[in-house]
Amino acid sequence: MGLQSNGLSLEVVGREVSGRPVPGKPRRPAGPYLLGLPALLLSCLLLVPIGVTVVAAFRTPDGFGFGNFAVMGDPGALRAVGNSLLWVLVAFGLVVVGFLLALLSYRLPAVTSFLQPALVIPFAVSVLVSGATFRLIFDATPERGTVTAVWTQLFGSSPVWLGPGLFWLVLVSAFGWTWLGYVVSLFRAGLDAIPDDVSRTLAAEGVSGWRRLSMLEIPLLRPITGVVTLTLVIAAVRVFDLVLIVVPGPMQRSADVLGLNWWRATTTGADPGRTAALGVVLFAIVAAVGVIGVRGLRRRRWAMPVAVVPPDASVGRPKPSKRVRRIGWIVGFAVSLVWILPAVVLVATALHSPREAGLRGWWSLSGLGFSSFAAAANVGLFRALLSTVLIAGAATAVLLVIAVPTAYLVAWGGLPQWLGRVVTSVFVVLAVTPVQMYAAPLRDAIGAAGLAGSRLALALVHAAAGLPFAVLLLRSAFASAPPALVSEALQGPARQSAVLATVQRTYRPALVAVAVLEFALVWNDFIVGFLISGPGTTPLSLVLWGEARQFSSSSGTVAAAAVVASVVPVVLMLSFWQTVVRGLTVGSRP
Amino acid sequence: MSWSGQELRAFHAVLEGLGKLDYPVETVPLGDDISTAFGPRSPHRPDIVMLPQPGLVPRQLRDLEPIPDDVAQLGRARLWSELLVQGGITYGVPFKTAHKSAVWYRPSVFREVGVEPPRLWSEWLTLNRTLTQAGIRPLSLAAGDGWVLTDFLENVLLGIAPSVYAALATATTPRPSRQPQFAAALRLLGSMWSAPETLAGGVKRSLVQQFPDAIVEVFGHRRAAMVLASDFAEPVVRSFAADPNDIGLFTFPPLSSGAAAPVVVGGDVMVLPKPTTDDARDLVRRLAAPAAADPWIKEGGFLADGRVTGYSPELTRLAEQLATPGGLLQFDLSDRLGRLGDIDRLWRVLTDFLIRIGDRGNGVVADAVDAAMTELRKVEG
Repeated sequence: MGLQSNGLSLEVVGREVSGRPVPGKPRRPAGPYLLGLPALLLSCLLLVPIGVTVVAAFRTPDGFGFGNFAVMGDPGALRAVGNSLLWVLVAFGLVVVGFLLALLSYRLPAVTSFLQPALVIPFAVSVLVSGATFRLIFDATPERGTVTAVWTQLFGSSPVWLGPGLFWLVLVSAFGWTWLGYVVSLFRAGLDAIPDDVSRTLAAEGVSGWRRLSMLEIPLLRPITGVVTLTLVIAAVRVFDLVLIVVPGPMQRSADVLGLNWWRATTTGADPGRTAALGVVLFAIVAAVGVIGVRGLRRRRWAMPVAVVPPDASVGRPKPSKRVRRIGWIVGFAVSLVWILPAVVLVATALHSPREAGLRGWWSLSGLGFSSFAAAANVGLFRALLSTVLIAGAATAVLLVIAVPTAYLVAWGGLPQWLGRVVTSVFVVLAVTPVQMYAAPLRDAIGAAGLAGSRLALALVHAAAGLPFAVLLLRSAFASAPPALVSEALQGPARQSAVLATVQRTYRPALVAVAVLEFALVWNDFIVGFLISGPGTTPLSLVLWGEARQFSSSSGTVAAAAVVASVVPVVLMLSFWQTVVRGLTVGSRP
Repeated sequence: MSWSGQELRAFHAVLEGLGKLDYPVETVPLGDDISTAFGPRSPHRPDIVMLPQPGLVPRQLRDLEPIPDDVAQLGRARLWSELLVQGGITYGVPFKTAHKSAVWYRPSVFREVGVEPPRLWSEWLTLNRTLTQAGIRPLSLAAGDGWVLTDFLENVLLGIAPSVYAALATATTPRPSRQPQFAAALRLLGSMWSAPETLAGGVKRSLVQQFPDAIVEVFGHRRAAMVLASDFAEPVVRSFAADPNDIGLFTFPPLSSGAAAPVVVGGDVMVLPKPTTDDARDLVRRLAAPAAADPWIKEGGFLADGRVTGYSPELTRLAEQLATPGGLLQFDLSDRLGRLGDIDRLWRVLTDFLIRIGDRGNGVVADAVDAAMTELRKVEG
């Protein structure tokens, strides 16, 4: 006689139980695994080509070995590795600067109101757009280039900013302009999450200055520092289009980075084994950074208690004095003005006729009008816009449909612990994999399938590339509100509202963050489209790139195209920024 | 195609001028990556490629379809045939011809110092000195575009040693470093580029300057007197000129008296990558029709093979020079050198050469030529 209850089968025995107890295995239903199937299939779009690349890298005419890696002895490749490492240093520098800025804006709250939008806009526009903007600002003629004009006014003559050596300044400025907003916003969110009673206690004990920083802010922000550093370092190692658009031809060689070196090697028809080896080296560097970063992250608690009751505003942080607020206001205003200037330059340039924009800078008062936009429309801008809307929309939809069940499976699907770890590690590695690792085999496969130029194929590749990050982010959000809590809420009305508030607080921001970031990322993408797309797809960034070939003489058209290309992501980011930041930090608060 | 900006817009006008077609036509601007348009490995496999380097045709034969018979004779025109006809089969039809031995200048500056356009290389050097002494920078150089540097060198080489030029162009493994005339051409070039205060903005500025920037320097900001730029620079010259009547043009002078003036020719040829379609053949036929390019010719900066009328006065002169029988015409050398003509080979050597000699006077030229030849040997592999 037996009975079943709660998934257990109980049996009443009529005699004494003998023998030693045998540990049983919890029964794991296979059903949930099906949730992961679509993700597995989609990931194969990356995993298989990566495998092909790795095999190609190690295959030499006489068996397998490291023969292809001799390519790294080439001075050009060595320079590229050196430059890529320099970019990593730049990334670390930016994290420090961003932390200090966040601290400043935390201590002087009025700063935030100005700083926030000024910092979000650069993050929303594509690398290609920010590169083009900085090339405009640093143009070598005093008539066109803002910095050159100011410098010439002040000192009589100006260095050639885009010339040998100095182009690094332009590159780093553009990179910093793009990323600093992200760094500051995340740190700021972390600082805001520090419980008020903790900071008040420290203040009451007279702990301030550097001691306070090292006792309170730095340790509490460690998880966020991990996320920020990881994102930035990966962005730095992946620098590609920025160099292409900013650096004039003769200096390209000295600005070479690994990703570019790989691309030049493939386009000049170098031996595929050697280019694969270059890809693997690039991958190894990024993966090493990724793994170190994730080890740092593992120490944090993914799940965190979520404050259901909003903090009482009256017992919040003490309001700073009037003087401090005024200083904050002025500092914030000044920093925002400087930060918004590149966007102003871009829009103002676009509002000049192509002739005027080619002759004089954005401050010129003649030749104003919309003729640059008309010229941009003439080279297929609107077709490309439509193409981009379709690709970005499809990629985001596919991503959400596949990532949500997968993240649920990883968070609560009852995967054995080892499998959960493996899945997470694979996703972490995939999240940092550079496009160069899968571009060549993938585009061959797409071509062979007769799908070259298909927007759907490109959207699928984008979705596959975005999947790892989306799953990791959603997983940590799901993990913070267990399903038991949800089901309990659905049964009893007592805690329903509170639990739904939890769901609202944790799931929604993460979902919004994933959707908004994926859409903006695909919208702004250059490298995937550039390396994989075919005729018929031409997304926006490729049109922009084509126009920028003869840079300054077409600066009006380039600027107009850049403005049109940036409107959608900027509006999207500005409207959802708070939610995105909450979604990004949901699993990583102290 | 490799066109963008104004050229792309002009080509769209050409396509519209063809009237209604039974199939959709899409333009794919590939810029400098035009060579990716070939081969089964390519993601960009257009039905028709407008190849801006006709010299690449003989190297791409296995990826190309023959041109349909009714328009094939266009590919057998003078000069073109040696590149486009291989083994009796025509693989390309010229669409656009480029005259790469044109120098655009501002006549007002020449009048100011009382000089005429040079009829000899030596006169050109004297002219530069005269301008420099009058406080005017003679030359604006677009060293940011590698092909401007190679065009300059090719003109000089063709002017002093046509046979060496032809030999290098047709060699299977060209070794320019073994040709003393190649070094001689570099020396001549060095004598012009190294003269102090010759280049507008100096070497560093030249390095960040692309060809339209160099034109703006001369005609827009009026900081230099002349610029070596092809016929296709015409729309840029006209749209940025501060004074539309202050535009002059002379062709590259002969290198010595009695020698012929060098004419380096380029162009865009239509080729059909394998496998082709009937629609693609039809479009090639339509684009090859004599009147097809009229909308572009009207915009300026377009020369059609064999045609000498309908252009601006400046371009008419260039078209006539191209059509004159017995001229010293040769196709662009850099894209016939195979990988040696690549962005990081010949271009790099010339850029380094310019950096070594720019503004430093004739004294440094000999050493710089030696260094360039050594570098060249290295990249020849």
